[in-house]
Amino acid sequence: MNPFHFDSLVWHWPIAIYLFLAGISAGAICFAVLLKHFKLGQNAYKSSFVQAACLLAPLAVFSGLGILVLDLTKPFDFWKILVFYNPTSIMSVGVAVLMIYQVALFSWLACLFKEPISNWCDHRWPLIDRILSLLDKHEPTITGLLVMLALSLGAYTGFLLSALTTFPMLNNPVLPMLFLVSGISSGAAGTLLGGLLLKGNPDSKEVHFIHHIEIPIILFELVLLFTFFIGLIISGGQSQAAALTALGEGFWGWIFWAGIIVIGLTLPLAFNLFMTASSKRKLSYVAITASCSLLGVLLLRNFILYTGQMTVA
Amino acid sequence: MENKRRLFLKCACATAVGAVGSTKLIAAQSDTKTDTTEAEVNYALIHDETKCIGCEVCVDACRETNNVPEGVSRLEIVKTGPFGEYPDQYFSFSRKSCQQCDGTPCVNVCPTGAAYKDPKTGIVSVDSWKCVGCMYCIAACPYQVRFINPVTKAADKCDFCKETRLKEGKSPACVAACPTKALVFGNLKDPDSEIVKVLKTTPNYRRKTELGTRPKLFRIATKSGEIKL
Repeated sequence: MNPFHFDSLVWHWPIAIYLFLAGISAGAICFAVLLKHFKLGQNAYKSSFVQAACLLAPLAVFSGLGILVLDLTKPFDFWKILVFYNPTSIMSVGVAVLMIYQVALFSWLACLFKEPISNWCDHRWPLIDRILSLLDKHEPTITGLLVMLALSLGAYTGFLLSALTTFPMLNNPVLPMLFLVSGISSGAAGTLLGGLLLKGNPDSKEVHFIHHIEIPIILFELVLLFTFFIGLIISGGQSQAAALTALGEGFWGWIFWAGIIVIGLTLPLAFNLFMTASSKRKLSYVAITASCSLLGVLLLRNFILYTGQMTVA
Repeated sequence: MENKRRLFLKCACATAVGAVGSTKLIAAQSDTKTDTTEAEVNYALIHDETKCIGCEVCVDACRETNNVPEGVSRLEIVKTGPFGEYPDQYFSFSRKSCQQCDGTPCVNVCPTGAAYKDPKTGIVSVDSWKCVGCMYCIAACPYQVRFINPVTKAADKCDFCKETRLKEGKSPACVAACPTKALVFGNLKDPDSEIVKVLKTTPNYRRKTELGTRPKLFRIATKSGEIKL
């Protein structure tokens, strides 16, 4: 079987990229919120890592949506998804979540950068001052909503696929959890890489904080992957066949074992533990770890999307 | 700080209540959806595989009537075999087309409502204007009978000729064209219809009912060519 072209294949790699970008956006903004509230406080906007997360979150979600729209057979009719809603459709609910998420995202960004924004405006536009003070008053509400929406967005990327009863491997209750958790870890990796590109210090307290969260997340991801496939195998029938086809020999088997398990999870875990033990972080270490994580998550999205569609119920 | 925390908690509670409420709403809606329409008509089809000879006249009739472009099809006859030793060889034929499910996976996933079940006839249809071509329905259909029409760029599939022959009061093109009368089309709500009589007296089966699709394409099995465990 050709790994990229087979009869039962409906959704191609653009969907995997979209799921990847939506996950990064959700993960990155979660880390920006965590860094602000637990480490940096009011001066959070000065940190390169927070800035990176705040750039990454909207850019990823916009480019993801762009890819999704271009992948439609009628790209110019995309507005119909925004006008007509179907409450039983995960995609429709997800689009609604995405829209509200973007509103919450920009409101929170305005709160975060209110000092530089009001300095730059220099009271020239009273409307902007009024909006900023209104948002500032409701900052706790916005933050809470944003975190919940980000988590919903991360889980939605999994629910979108798990709603497909056609494919036993995708129609799996662990999938939304797996995509949420791997999305958060890709957000962490994206934040670290972006922060380094913006000349952040690789041994700063932000990096220490993110790495401390990353270790349990990688372990949890391994547990979820194990549960995902063991669950399929012990279900028997087509579920078992799907899991064995995906994990067995062939192109996607290599992607799973070498790309996802070794490069995407084991190496970052080992590097993280090593860096925690040696306690000194070098730029190259942090960058390589983050790149491995990102690559692993991108491969995971493609692996699940393609192998999931190989076996039909 | 105390105030902020309280506000956050309030907000979280409100969102949780909202989420529970909307789930209930969706559940209530799908409950009403599973109830087959109270209308007088609910169309279904029988493919009698014992009578089918695999001539594919139905396939051509469908293409002509519904203007289905080359390269895609609403209806296919899948041929397996030959079974047995020469000269006692035979094939078996199976119809591949929309199963007109009562519990519709395609309608459930369609983000715009372009895929819908017509409440008057129970026929699963596509509003090609509303369809944006996300292909979610194509992936969601366990029978894999949906396709993108290369002309309209919308999802397409068999609709029992709802927009063509049914409108003129005739039976679907495949049913009328079949030379061996292997297809029986009719209204499940009418106890005197031929389809209800056949279904009540003849053993029949449907595909993938374990997925909760409740399909309305019934099949009468031909002798099986091989024993599968």
